[in-house]
Amino acid sequence: MSGTVSALRAEALELVESLHLPTKRDEAWRYAPHKTLSELTFGPATATDALPTDIDDQVPALDGPRIVIVNGVVDATRSQLGSLPAGVQMVSLDDADQSEQRSEVDAKAADDAFSILNRAYGDGGAFLQIDGQPTETIHIVDIAVPGETQNASASRVVIDMAVGSSATVVETRIGSGDAFGGSNVCTEISLAANASLEHIILQDLPSTQVHLGRVDVVQAAESNLRARLFNLGSDYGRVAYHVHLNGEGAHADLSGLYFGFGTQTLDQQITVVHDAKDCTSRQSYRGVLDDSSTGVWNGGVDVRKGADGTDSEQSNDNLLLSRQADVNTMPRLEILADEVSCQHGATVGQLDDEALYYMRSRGIPKDEASRLLIKGFADQTMDDIESDAIRTWITERLGHDDA
Amino acid sequence: MSETMRDIEKLTEASYEYGFSTDLDTDVAPPGLTEETVRLISAKKDEPEWLLAWRLQAFAAWQEMDEPDWAKLQIAPIDYQSISYWAAPKQKPVLDSMDDVDPEIREMFDKLGIPLHEQKMLSNVAVDAIVDSVSVTTTFKETLAEAGVIFCSFSEAVQDHPELVREHLGSVVPVRDNFFAALNSAVFSDGSFCYIPKGVRCPMELSTYFRINSMNTGQFERTLIVAEDDSHVSYLEGCTAPQRDENQLHAAVVELVAKDRSEIKYSTVQNWYPGDENGVGGIYNFVTKRGRAHTDAKISWTQVETGSAITWKYPSVILQGDRSIGEFYSVALTSKHQQADTGTKMIHIGADTTSSIISKGISAAKGQNTYRGLVKIMRSAENARNYTQCDSLLLGKECGAHTVPYIEVKNPTAQVEHEASTSTVGEDQLYYCRQRGMNEEDAMAMIVNGFCREVFDELPMEFAVEAQRLLSVSLEGSVG
Amino acid sequence: MLNVANLTASIEDNPILKGIDLNVGAGEVHAIMGPNGSGKSTFAHALAGRDGYEIEGTATIDGADLLEMEPEERAAAGVFMGFQYPVEIPGVNNMYFLRTALNSVRRTRGEDEIGARDFLEIAQKAMDLVEMKKDFLHRSVNAGFSGGEKKRNEILQMAVMEPRLAVLDETDSGLDIDALRVVAAGVNALRGPDRSMIVITHYQRLLDYIKPDFVHVLVDGKIVESGDHTLAVHLEDHGYAGFLNSGLDDASLSGATA
Repeated sequence: MSGTVSALRAEALELVESLHLPTKRDEAWRYAPHKTLSELTFGPATATDALPTDIDDQVPALDGPRIVIVNGVVDATRSQLGSLPAGVQMVSLDDADQSEQRSEVDAKAADDAFSILNRAYGDGGAFLQIDGQPTETIHIVDIAVPGETQNASASRVVIDMAVGSSATVVETRIGSGDAFGGSNVCTEISLAANASLEHIILQDLPSTQVHLGRVDVVQAAESNLRARLFNLGSDYGRVAYHVHLNGEGAHADLSGLYFGFGTQTLDQQITVVHDAKDCTSRQSYRGVLDDSSTGVWNGGVDVRKGADGTDSEQSNDNLLLSRQADVNTMPRLEILADEVSCQHGATVGQLDDEALYYMRSRGIPKDEASRLLIKGFADQTMDDIESDAIRTWITERLGHDDA
Repeated sequence: MSETMRDIEKLTEASYEYGFSTDLDTDVAPPGLTEETVRLISAKKDEPEWLLAWRLQAFAAWQEMDEPDWAKLQIAPIDYQSISYWAAPKQKPVLDSMDDVDPEIREMFDKLGIPLHEQKMLSNVAVDAIVDSVSVTTTFKETLAEAGVIFCSFSEAVQDHPELVREHLGSVVPVRDNFFAALNSAVFSDGSFCYIPKGVRCPMELSTYFRINSMNTGQFERTLIVAEDDSHVSYLEGCTAPQRDENQLHAAVVELVAKDRSEIKYSTVQNWYPGDENGVGGIYNFVTKRGRAHTDAKISWTQVETGSAITWKYPSVILQGDRSIGEFYSVALTSKHQQADTGTKMIHIGADTTSSIISKGISAAKGQNTYRGLVKIMRSAENARNYTQCDSLLLGKECGAHTVPYIEVKNPTAQVEHEASTSTVGEDQLYYCRQRGMNEEDAMAMIVNGFCREVFDELPMEFAVEAQRLLSVSLEGSVG
Repeated sequence: MLNVANLTASIEDNPILKGIDLNVGAGEVHAIMGPNGSGKSTFAHALAGRDGYEIEGTATIDGADLLEMEPEERAAAGVFMGFQYPVEIPGVNNMYFLRTALNSVRRTRGEDEIGARDFLEIAQKAMDLVEMKKDFLHRSVNAGFSGGEKKRNEILQMAVMEPRLAVLDETDSGLDIDALRVVAAGVNALRGPDRSMIVITHYQRLLDYIKPDFVHVLVDGKIVESGDHTLAVHLEDHGYAGFLNSGLDDASLSGATA
């Protein structure tokens, strides 16, 4: 284990003793179910015998290399790590720690209770280093299986993109069983100059569980991030992005879909920090909330002093399908630089009556027309996803619950 | 250095033209705040028992509360025990006519451009003048009385119309609402009271002019406006203070009650002393303003905030009745070391309620400007509509512009739209104006005024002119 | 009236104008033509006083040194620039903008300011000239205008400002044939013995409507040829190829003659 990593972990373990869980007063956790969160229990990762059944029907059918993490421990038998494409190194995080290979994204900035718990207990996970342009999609699967000693798992994913490299990485996050529990996954991504990463998160834990995701990204000059989030599962499903544009001309494009049913709360927390000249960022998220579900979108752009030439846009559009559904949206801007162009917009509404009427006048029954409109609204978030396997997975996932 | 930057530097040097102080013989209580202070204020004003009890309840609540820390403001700690909570110009207790107003006070208001002589007044505006928390005179009282409109100082209202005050005081902003509202409820010294009877359209604009004059005093005024069914009133307030090196506290509460089908239009031009270019001095302005709109009623807030070292205010509307309407139009300019955290809350409860928010923030020099707003659509608010537009203009490299909107929707029939943009005054815009013959300063003022147009359009004519002039003064510095 | 001698302009040490000599007499209309990037717009802005250029040489109007003046002083001296890309100023209505401009110039010249009512008459005449609708005066300056409306607005402003020297930079760009006719008719109506004009254009098309007394060809920062309006016709037939350095490749030529 490298010195820095172990020191961070030791420090975190000490902090765990006096941990304060976030409350309503913490902006980033304002709409979270605090009581539910207090019932999560964490501890050192241990392999589980209660292995999930065949996972292939729960994850997209991707052909490339795959690493599977169960309760924070890499499951070699379910992973496919033979014959990795050129320029790709993918190992268990413990192995990477031992060989001092870990990137050192400064994750200390994450000082909320669950980030600290993750640093303390998330020893296991995936380490991915790309120095080339692999064409195959790289798949990281995280499975939470609530156990006896603790109900929540902690794991980490480290993605290190070398200068000029490019790749597509998919993180599928699922769970097993119907007991209460969940997963806490932190991803550290660093993009060197001119590197380009498409990063997709498919969050689909069971509705009895909780998912807490955090993605820290540091981008060097002219690097390019495309982050896509499909936040679909869990009772409380949360993914927080912290993207730091550190090098001139870096570009971050984040978008996603949250589609809530039942009593789900789906929470997206996004902060993009512009800390260099001429960077561009885009945030574009859509939410559909049915039944008694709640959607939360807290998207911020933080333009630091000297980050002139910043160009940012944010949008968040929501559809409420039920009288009991809620949505809370906060498009934030903090600007300390000159010569910036920052725009944001947020809308909340229901299906367009005109469009419904138009479709019905053409003979489409109301329910079908509604379904088509909702599908049209949601599907736009996958417009630029190239992988058929992923598109199929999302479509089936939504169609299944929509029935 | 670019032309724009030079303009902006000049902007920061613009001086505060209301910075004089007047030597009035003033009755000031010693600094400090205890239950005794609250009792003293109440006794000085000869208040009924119920009002003292109400104040004491607020004081008890205040003692248990903490200052809010969520705003994006850096505030030096305020020592509430070093402030004097009572200061009043000494004068005859009852005024028989305007001629009885202390000539020095009259002169002070003349200097501010606010004539208190009814004969001298050209515009159709009734004025209540408040110095250091105490109402010194109210004009046009008789004309208003003919229409049945009550417009007087808060203290007079307590004596003359206790039932109206008692019914509505605290009905929109409860004593425990927030730290500063609780403080105000405990120690408020005076303010304006305004009552528009059923079906009456107030025959003239009502205006309160606030002036802090004494040193080391806080100003804690309370305004209550009640518009009965089918009535209409337009109300204006203006504020200035002398230039002093220490910060002075202003914590006001304004409550509006708009009953069925009534309309209240409330406009503010706030130009408290902003402090100097090094951030020394200036007013700390913590204001709670809220209105309750009943069925088919409309409440419209318009504010032009150019003064104060710190501005913390969120004029809000509780859209309680069906089809009620709430509006918020705001221009906030922060220059020098000024900080403003301002915005609105629109709470939609009734069906078919509509709110619109237009906010224009201008940041220059080392100013920090935050729009903070909440649009809340409750489960019961069928077919509620909100439109929000939030624009920021940045003039310089040392300033900041922040936008923090909260949108909470619990009803699927709601339509909520929020748009925001950030821009700077373009070199090309300035050049274009100059090519047409305007000097830089005029061009700058014109462009900034253009940016604020939608808000100025909401102000009554006299105030719109004043607001434009204020912005131009802030942008002043004369280009050679 | 306007005398320009050995005028050079550069941006960050990149020379754009490399020594322009031009004399424009009272009442004369001069056309300056040239391919993209030859320095036409820079010449216009050098006269109007835009920031960001290093300027050398001389330019005087009626003997007064233009180069020493701020943009607004040049406007007061009678220089009007019709912008190729008129600037949008949201929230400032046209009427207010124009009246402020006119009165600023009049104040500088020591003339009386014009009251709102008289101004309305002046504006009305100008609006008729460029066939603008009534609501136009109450719209924000150029904000949300179509390309044609923006250019007509420039001519309207010129009519109100009554300049000594009008410099029209690519006034024809982005106009359809009807708009071009309106704009050209406006310009022609404003010709007079005391008003000189410099019409900058890429195409000869505009010169079919506005007949210049002189035509100059600007290539690579220099006037390489001067003549009467027949020169424009020659350019229409032969393009700028004959005037370009042999070092330039054909790609830019085809652009220039398209």
